[in-house]
Amino acid sequence: MTRKFKNAQEEMVGFAVIIIIVAVVLVVFLGFSLKNKQEKVESYEVDSFIQSFLQYTTSCEDNFEYRSVQDLIFDCSNKKTCSGGEDSCEVLDSELTGILEESWKVEEGTLAKGYELKIMFNEEEMLSIEKGNATQNSRGASQDFFKTGNSVKIFFTVYT
Amino acid sequence: MKTGQMKIQQMAFMLIAITLFFALVAIFVISFKYSGLKQSAMELEEENAMMLVTKLANSPEFSCGESFGETKINCIDENKVMALKENPAYSEFWKVSNIEIRKIYPKTEEKICDSGNYPNCNIIKMYQKEISGFDASNFVSLCRKESVDGETYDKCELAKMMISYEKK
Repeated sequence: MTRKFKNAQEEMVGFAVIIIIVAVVLVVFLGFSLKNKQEKVESYEVDSFIQSFLQYTTSCEDNFEYRSVQDLIFDCSNKKTCSGGEDSCEVLDSELTGILEESWKVEEGTLAKGYELKIMFNEEEMLSIEKGNATQNSRGASQDFFKTGNSVKIFFTVYT
Repeated sequence: MKTGQMKIQQMAFMLIAITLFFALVAIFVISFKYSGLKQSAMELEEENAMMLVTKLANSPEFSCGESFGETKINCIDENKVMALKENPAYSEFWKVSNIEIRKIYPKTEEKICDSGNYPNCNIIKMYQKEISGFDASNFVSLCRKESVDGETYDKCELAKMMISYEKK
């Protein structure tokens, strides 16, 4: 009777060991899967958004023409003012804030929970606009361009 | 019952239990993987739809070309679109149910464009139909030639191009 009981105990321990091993494997698998899900997704929509807002004609006028957002980034780096006397950096900031607010509505029930726009000029931060919460799920894109030896990098991330 | 029979029965139960356990684990893993696959497929479909919008925006009938300086991507010539609007020759040309361009910024009161109110409007409907079936949209730059005090300049605004299409 004691021997039978001992055998049963051994079998139960064996079964428990199998369950523990499988559970550990599952936890590791889940951990890896969730970690991958939290990575930033390259988004075609965000990429198009950056390309489109760079072409936007701002209210800042120099002696020849109204400046686009792309032109204004270089004007801001050169501390230029518009013909109306406004600071190019202030115009850039206000225009981009307006564009972002109208394009990515961060409200209850909308897809976007937050966003972050960063403009780097020669590796230094020129402008940063943030709104809402930075959640684990995000989609983003970046774009860089050069002019007269200066580099501009634009990063935009939308948190969903 | 003899001890041998008991052992066989015990082993059979054990085998059934282990098989059931592994079957459950397999179902869990497959469903997890499959949900990821479904998500990827949906994302791919969404991206393809957006690419269709971009393809349309960059087609010669819509694109800015070199009218506004250098060649621009995702740029739509607003004057071209107005000229094409309701042109019967183009009603079936793009194989989509509807094309709509909606200005996003600067924000103005909603007004559908026609030859009478253009350019003081913000929605261009290529066909006078409602958006139906599947739809896709993407950001574009909407440019036109504007004139102030006799001087012409390029004006580009931010817009969203929306298309609707029937799934085959």
